[in-house]
Amino acid sequence: MRAGLGWRPEIGAAILAHADRIDVVEVLAEDFVEATAKERRALRMLASCLPVVIHATTLGLASTEPVDAERLEAVARVIGWLEPESWSEHLAFVRAGGIEIGHLAAPPRNDETLEGLMRNVDAARRVIGSLPLLENVATLIDPPFSDYDEGQWLDLVFRATGADLLLDLHNLHANAANFGFDARAVVASLDHRRIGAIHLAGGRHIEGNRILDDHLHAVPSEVFDLLAMVDTIDATIIIERDGHYPPFAELLTELDHARSAALSGAALHG
Amino acid sequence: MPDLQRFLARLYTDDALRARFLAQPAAVARECGFNDADAERLAAEIDAESLTLAARSYAKKRSLKR
Repeated sequence: MRAGLGWRPEIGAAILAHADRIDVVEVLAEDFVEATAKERRALRMLASCLPVVIHATTLGLASTEPVDAERLEAVARVIGWLEPESWSEHLAFVRAGGIEIGHLAAPPRNDETLEGLMRNVDAARRVIGSLPLLENVATLIDPPFSDYDEGQWLDLVFRATGADLLLDLHNLHANAANFGFDARAVVASLDHRRIGAIHLAGGRHIEGNRILDDHLHAVPSEVFDLLAMVDTIDATIIIERDGHYPPFAELLTELDHARSAALSGAALHG
Repeated sequence: MPDLQRFLARLYTDDALRARFLAQPAAVARECGFNDADAERLAAEIDAESLTLAARSYAKKRSLKR
């Protein structure tokens, strides 16, 4: 198990200054698709200091439409020159019929989505050369025409695509709160051998007694409790923070907390 | 059935369509090409408050990208 942070320019200097307490960094692919030669050199220098994994956000692999070839090629180029240990994308659609939604939309959990996902994951594997880790997404709306619950859906996805899971525990926590299911039961139902990475983040309560996964707040205790249920022995754990940055010492303390919870999870599964 | 994700993308991003859907969900779904059974299922399964919150969240994300 190892634990690290999402690379963001605002905390980049602090990450480098505290590299001895960070095991890995996760870089957003789309931040570097138009990178200059100087920016590429800087990122390679980062990769020479710390293991790097890539996270993509705009491919929309869970779309019933074919993945956009230009976007896929752009992500492939970043992966090609950075040579990360792994790459990941979301179980989401982000556009349809030429309409850009603007963010990750949870797809209907049904066989039609599964077929589109399988085609798109296969296309991505052929272009990039490796399967992505696939991440469960947070949503404020339970998509209609969903024939499977969240746990069934994740199980189906990993059987059908062959890809492993990037388990976002805050997304799961938020969805469980928003739609009234038991996140612990979903974690317990997963094949933990297929969990390649874990995301932790914080959000906030909004109207309707819902949780918005905004990545602007500290990781809540409920998420660490879920982490302590997971067999993390081989997992890469990333804390995602996208703004409202606290003093960096607080992020390092969160990393320590994550390691402690992860060790509990690993011990639980012996 | 019409492309469901395309319909959802419109619903999430088109304020006028969403307002009409919230007022008369099954009728607007039929108008968009869904048959009676699918239109009724959409009307039953799309929670109005959830749709409003999700659309607002997506709009904010789009505005941040401009």
